[in-house]
Amino acid sequence: MSAPRSAHRAASVVAALLGSLFLLFLLAPLVQLVAAGGASGAVKLFGDGELRASLLLTALTATGATLLGIAGGTPLAYLLERRRFRGRTVLAALLDLPLLVPHPVAGIALLLVLGRQSAVGGTLLAMGLRIVSAPAGIVAAMLFVSAPLYISAAREAFARVDPRYEGVARTLGDAPWRAFRRVTLPLSMRGLIAAAIVMWARAVSEFGAIVVLAYNPKVASVLSYDRFTGYGLSEALPVAAILVLLAFIPLLALRAVRPDGGTVEP
Amino acid sequence: MIAASGLGARAGAFALCDITFTVPHGAYGVVIGPAGSGKTTLLETIAGLVRPTAGALSLGGRDMAGVPPEQRGIGFVYQRAFLFPHLTVEENVEYGTADAAFARMIAERLGVAALYPRDVRSLSGGERALTAIARAVAARPAILLLDEPYSALDPRRRTLVRREMRAMHREFAYTVLQVTHDFTEAGLLGDVAVLLDAGRVLQWGAPDKVFREPASAYVAEFLGAENVFAGEVRTAERGAIEFRTGALTFHAVGDAPAGVGHAVVRAEEVSISRSAPGSSARNVFPGTITELAALGALTRVVVDIGGTPLVAALTSHSVRELSLAEGQAVWASFKAMAVHLC
Repeated sequence: MSAPRSAHRAASVVAALLGSLFLLFLLAPLVQLVAAGGASGAVKLFGDGELRASLLLTALTATGATLLGIAGGTPLAYLLERRRFRGRTVLAALLDLPLLVPHPVAGIALLLVLGRQSAVGGTLLAMGLRIVSAPAGIVAAMLFVSAPLYISAAREAFARVDPRYEGVARTLGDAPWRAFRRVTLPLSMRGLIAAAIVMWARAVSEFGAIVVLAYNPKVASVLSYDRFTGYGLSEALPVAAILVLLAFIPLLALRAVRPDGGTVEP
Repeated sequence: MIAASGLGARAGAFALCDITFTVPHGAYGVVIGPAGSGKTTLLETIAGLVRPTAGALSLGGRDMAGVPPEQRGIGFVYQRAFLFPHLTVEENVEYGTADAAFARMIAERLGVAALYPRDVRSLSGGERALTAIARAVAARPAILLLDEPYSALDPRRRTLVRREMRAMHREFAYTVLQVTHDFTEAGLLGDVAVLLDAGRVLQWGAPDKVFREPASAYVAEFLGAENVFAGEVRTAERGAIEFRTGALTFHAVGDAPAGVGHAVVRAEEVSISRSAPGSSARNVFPGTITELAALGALTRVVVDIGGTPLVAALTSHSVRELSLAEGQAVWASFKAMAVHLC
């Protein structure tokens, strides 16, 4: 065997070993968690009203945040991807900032803007919309930390659609909005759905920002933390295991809608 | 009518500069240029898909400043078709029209009606091109912009489609601007030829005039003229001109100014004979054949005239009849009218 070939084989073995160790590091805690608490979690799901309410609240607030993210993030992603304007790069970087800020810090920032003492929060409260310690606060926290993921993935979805499709539609008589609706939107739909799923999944798993802005009512992540600190590991385990199992739902949905190779013509 | 005046546009790092030409109402214009010369960007600028940075554009006599693509009355066919992949062939053809019967008639004439139920992703390159053409024509444009639309068609289908497009052009009276890098296609189709290179118009006008009277030696070589000579123009007598290149003197007619210039003689204007011709041709030179290259029905004959190569395009039949061979002494001749000075 030649020296370069044996060196190549040795490198492959080392890479495989490192990869396996890393995979073990990522999966072992989750597998262990489900093994230890999965069965009791499933049982608890039927008997524990607080857990069921918490899961429902989590799903509803995450869905609300995702819908708001779609409504506001889609046009923003489209503009950032398709239009060239001054400050575009800076704006794109700023939109990624919530991903880099520690999430409790994001919660504090939101509290400053939406809290009872703030102008916005005070006005909203006067209008009957309570933010702090309310579902609306949970939605706001989820939206803040997960919308950048949606915008980033939506930009990728638009980038996969050659702008000349829309150009052809314009020459065939479509105004910009109509060309977007008839051509770009259907062609990027799978990517946008995938982006929404990623956002929803991220919203469901949020803890840091929510715990600052709305500890109560408790979403699932706060509930598992609450059970852990209040009652110990044995009480937290079933809740945590249920959350891990439920995480498979968006994961499977994501695989089902994974965009194909794009729509750029050969 | 398409009228561009000093038009400029930018697409990424590429720029169109000072584009000026006119294609009259109902005429067939052809843009010729090498890859990367800006042909597609020019069409996109006319379509309103690329914003102009300078100059003026009018379509059908209407200034297009600030007019969006959907209000320009244009149809656009890209070389890569850009059929909408989420729609069937039928839905693509009918995309820009509410008149399904008219769309079907156009599809039938172009031979794509049979493909109506098909998913466009299953089409061949030629079928895609024809569907894209049908989609554009079905929307009844006043101006049709075609970006190398026949490149994916086989030669037989290309001839048929060209014929049908010509017929539809006469019938519907739309103005066409077609991009091509095929000089034959330009000559066959065009009423107006626009020569584009590196984002600039080198020359524009009737194809015959552009091909026979190139504005510069560069244009002549660009158009495939094989006999381009650098030399000096000297006026001999009224209307008669002498052009000296090396040891040779060509006789020409016209009003070219005296001084340094170029003479262009198209290869198909050069005659070859085995003895001194007793014709009216003013330019007659003895020489030796150095190269014979058969190109189907035509043969390219290179004659060395005192160290200067002169290319003649003869029919292969003539070459056989004259029993021409390399190394053979012959006479090359062309009329003074065949010498274009630039």
